[in-house]
Amino acid sequence: MALISIAIGLYWGLVIAPPDAYQGEVQRIMYLHLPSILAAYLSYFLVFIGSCMYLWKRERRDDILAHSAAEVGVLFTALTIIEGSIWGRPTWGVWWTWDARLTLTAILLLIYTGYLMLRSLIEDEDRAASVAAVLGVIGFLDIPLIHMSVYWWRTLHQPPSILQPNKAPWENIAWPLLIPLLINIAAFLLLLFYLLSLRYRLGEMRDQIRTRRLEQSV
Amino acid sequence: MEHWSFVALAYGIVWSVLVVYLFSLKSRCKKAQIELSALTSAQASNEHDQT
Repeated sequence: MALISIAIGLYWGLVIAPPDAYQGEVQRIMYLHLPSILAAYLSYFLVFIGSCMYLWKRERRDDILAHSAAEVGVLFTALTIIEGSIWGRPTWGVWWTWDARLTLTAILLLIYTGYLMLRSLIEDEDRAASVAAVLGVIGFLDIPLIHMSVYWWRTLHQPPSILQPNKAPWENIAWPLLIPLLINIAAFLLLLFYLLSLRYRLGEMRDQIRTRRLEQSV
Repeated sequence: MEHWSFVALAYGIVWSVLVVYLFSLKSRCKKAQIELSALTSAQASNEHDQT
């Protein structure tokens, strides 16, 4: 299902959708850029939920969920920054600028890259999970800042395309551009859940391996 | 046809990275599955030897 929606999204975004009146063809990067950051936000929301649940109940499955979602979230955040940079070159004239939204997104990437590094640096698995869970909760606070940054500071980045307060998505963006955008968002979310399910399964197997090894050593 | 090269670059990088990540994830799962099966069978044979 993810594959079919990706194929439809690609075809609609690259062939059927008309070019933007001001930006021309380069606006088609939006069909990657927005779905990628939404997939990243959802991943970090799962990190937040998994981390809170782990700190509360100390169940391994919550930590595995948080760890899996953090890895996938870092992937989608890195892709968002790369897409934004490629989009920024022809529209703003620069690959990168220290704009509030861009800088906060880079900080988000650094926080969760740090989260993953922290986990690999601390040998005691339970301690690593606890420390990472605290970072996973604190790191999530960056997301509302990123979303509101375009309102709070004067930035180069445009305001949200679909998630604007007091406005329906179709009031901000024309239907011929909104339809491929929604298809691509659905495709990326399906892909996210597929990648997450694989990564979660890997986490579970690693946990079982660790338990078996401990049993053998005892 | 302006800026198609930027569109191609963005789509090329994103889908290449996603495909590479997907295959690396599948490969890591396969390795973990093999290791887990080996540990399970070793544990089973140990228990069998003890009885």
